Amino acid sequence: MQILRKSGWAGFEKTLRMNRKEVIKKVKESGLNGRGGCNFPTGLKWELMGKGVRYLICNANEGEPGTLKDKFIMEKNPSLLIEGIAIASYATGIHKTFIYLRGEYSYLKPKLERVIKQSEEYLKKINLKININLGAGSYLCGEETAIMESIEGKRPVVRQKPPYPPEVGLYGKSTCVNNVETLANVPLIFLGGWNNKLELYSLSGDLKKPGVYEVEGGIKLKQIVSLTKPKTEPKIIYFGASGGCLPYKKFENLSMGYKSISEQGCMLNGRGLIICGKNRDIVELSKIFTEFFLHENCGYCTPCREGNFRVWELLKKIGCRKGRKSDLNLLQKLAYHISDTSYCGLGTSSTNHLKCALKYFKGEFLKLCK
Amino acid sequence: MQIKMNGKRVKVKKGETILDIAKRNGINIPTLCYHPDLKPEGRCRICLVEVNGKLVTSCNTKVEEKMEIFTNTKRVLEARRLNMELILSNITYTRKDFELIKLAKELGIRKIRFKKHVDNSKGRGPIEIDNHRCILCGRCVQVCQNIQGINNIDFVNRGIFTEVTTPFNIPIKDSPCTFCGQCALYCPENAVRERAFSEKLIKYVEDMNLIKNRNKVVIVQTAPAVRASLGEMFGAEPRTLVTGKMVAALRKIGFDKVFDTNFGADMTIMEEANEFVKSIEKNKNLPLITSCCPSWIRFAEETYPFLLKNISTCKSPQQMFGAIAKTYYAKKIGVKPEDLIVVSIVPCIAKKFEAEKPEMKSAGCNDVDIVLTTREIGRMIERKKINFSKLGDGEFDEPLGIPSGGGAIFGATGGVTESVLRVIYEIFTGKKLKKVNFKQVRGFEGIRDTEIEMGNKNIKIAIAHGLGNIRKLIESGEWKRYHFIEMMACPGGCIGGGGQPRPTTWEIRKKRIAALYEQDKKMKIRVASHSPAIKETYKEFLGKPLGKKSEKLLHTKYEKRKPKYF
Repeated sequence: MQILRKSGWAGFEKTLRMNRKEVIKKVKESGLNGRGGCNFPTGLKWELMGKGVRYLICNANEGEPGTLKDKFIMEKNPSLLIEGIAIASYATGIHKTFIYLRGEYSYLKPKLERVIKQSEEYLKKINLKININLGAGSYLCGEETAIMESIEGKRPVVRQKPPYPPEVGLYGKSTCVNNVETLANVPLIFLGGWNNKLELYSLSGDLKKPGVYEVEGGIKLKQIVSLTKPKTEPKIIYFGASGGCLPYKKFENLSMGYKSISEQGCMLNGRGLIICGKNRDIVELSKIFTEFFLHENCGYCTPCREGNFRVWELLKKIGCRKGRKSDLNLLQKLAYHISDTSYCGLGTSSTNHLKCALKYFKGEFLKLCK
Repeated sequence: MQIKMNGKRVKVKKGETILDIAKRNGINIPTLCYHPDLKPEGRCRICLVEVNGKLVTSCNTKVEEKMEIFTNTKRVLEARRLNMELILSNITYTRKDFELIKLAKELGIRKIRFKKHVDNSKGRGPIEIDNHRCILCGRCVQVCQNIQGINNIDFVNRGIFTEVTTPFNIPIKDSPCTFCGQCALYCPENAVRERAFSEKLIKYVEDMNLIKNRNKVVIVQTAPAVRASLGEMFGAEPRTLVTGKMVAALRKIGFDKVFDTNFGADMTIMEEANEFVKSIEKNKNLPLITSCCPSWIRFAEETYPFLLKNISTCKSPQQMFGAIAKTYYAKKIGVKPEDLIVVSIVPCIAKKFEAEKPEMKSAGCNDVDIVLTTREIGRMIERKKINFSKLGDGEFDEPLGIPSGGGAIFGATGGVTESVLRVIYEIFTGKKLKKVNFKQVRGFEGIRDTEIEMGNKNIKIAIAHGLGNIRKLIESGEWKRYHFIEMMACPGGCIGGGGQPRPTTWEIRKKRIAALYEQDKKMKIRVASHSPAIKETYKEFLGKPLGKKSEKLLHTKYEKRKPKYF
């Protein structure tokens, strides 16, 4: 796998011989896009950084259900990540970096600290300090501004945008937030022989061989699923909890990519696929995902807080065969209402799964209604 | 810059929100969690509008080039209605929640399709937070954190279990809360509110016969700020003074005597002015800091104990009045102090806490028995079915009801300072005061300072209102430069107190303050030391200011306190 290549700080040494603008230019030319979910060009993000005190945050709060690529990188090749952080800090002139590590990954903290200590001589060259901040298990803290609130010691709530993090970020300073996979890919650009198209996919569900797979972007859904040897015939593919879902049979030949997936009304967040077999019940699955959002929403705005609770109530009612058709209508209305009027990204994507389920599997819902 | 609003071209400036523009152009957008004094957070999602095909909240979205805004498409109206339905589905509300009911009507809600599920209410301390009613709009949290700077309440838990509470869920009375009550003032739902002082006693007051059967006399005192705001609860403009109607209504409720706390305020001025003269002469414990605000006292006792020696030892007007009533007045009319029930009507929630302090017992029992806020007395008048707006004018009773103009302006920020200045001018210069108005100390800035020449002395004065400003003044170390500092915990002084009618905004506060100054202007006696009632009380009973008797009855001590759990 490409991501497991050992760089041994060769990429970093190379960047030191270039000036900052050249580094950013090279990253821009390479076509590296953010691997966290927004697909924003990394070089451009670095270029937008302001002046004065600046911070870099490495977003390792990988909370999306079914996504485990960041964990994979930090377990197998942490030094590549640290090197990527060093290069990014050098390119943007940052002297302080925070790794916001997911609370559930706390066992990785000693390992990362050891790697940071081992690479001290390189970090000293650019006067860089790396801090590891542990999250407390909040899914919302995967959002860039919520991370900042959390590091500042506040209740994690998404900030109003604009201003965007490059203008006003952590402690009111210009801040850059990058995903683990994005940063780990940076040294490889400078090593040479880097393939832009290779991406990590996490596959889980009713599979014989679940795990992290490195495949080229644009691969057909059929091909990627066949790698994992499904136990039964796949029925539904969930793109994480917030990405929505698609019926497998209809979209067998869909090529995997941000554009093609979002055309179908779904999102390829973190490229985690949950594959559900033919004996799974769509109402039950929707209920489980709603429960996830019920637990993880922050309670800031009305539609997400109250709405998701009502969605869960209605799904429970329909699941017990007590629902009526009017309940189903209300459910559909709520699903669109929540994603229309919520405050932050969590709220607006919290009913994606339900919207898709009602679009493709409405018959199954109707069967359960009186 | 130009944008399109409902199809019309509108000129806008950069940095304006959509709501500002709509208001200016006469377009109505309903709001719930929005408050003009606070930073818009967009929690309730009622003020939605459609911008280029997307729904956004108008209160916190700034205008940008090429925006096309629609404020009442079908999609917008439906989304607003559904959000309101979701809010209402989860709380208990009554007819009294004007803001909420009005909004629901405006949005056309007839039926709520969801059932209630929250079942947790906690009532503790002078302030209680009722999660049955809370819609999590976040106004109280913002006021406590940003304006008052106490940070005592915040959201806990997440999702559907989110609620507003104190750190570690400790009872409010043990928390660092100062009971300023601004959270209650800003709450749109009466979810954060004052604790009814004592349910039983209030019932007694409402049913006066019960008390009279027990040979008790009930007297009431009304604070200066109440008369400027009580009318608002009955539909009057914020600038109207309802002194006469208020007195008439209180008599109708059944109080035996209606007195004016301005009398207590006058007494406070006398004591404080003399204390100030004393410390200036000895050049000791300067600056002198006022002590009329119980919320500020609690704040100082908990947070800045090193300031306690500078704080005037005078009790607040309410407690002075109580002490005089229970000793001097009770003797005069021949009633035992226990049988004289002193009710006070104040714009303040912290006064409830002050009245229960153990050191406030000059005649063996509590000096003030029941403290009611402006909102509470307004509700009581409503319950008694008194037609407030058609009442005639009543008059205060003597002898504790004839105040000076100096007492009347106590309710406004800078008022205490001005009244004290009027008295000390004559002490310092020996001349009669001709120019009564000290306009230098009036104003609305959070921290103001000025210098005033009196005789051969140059007195430096600072005025701070709002606990956030007080903290700024103290922590910057600036406070050491002055001779006299007035501290009021609520923005705008008592006029913006925690027990005042809702809604209270800066506009309304300014109007109420203007009303008080107008009242002062009309008064015949404007300097406290000239008031015949004060002169008589000192002659008959107290002796002289800072004398032995007044030291015992009108002064108190402060001690360092630590919140129980910290």
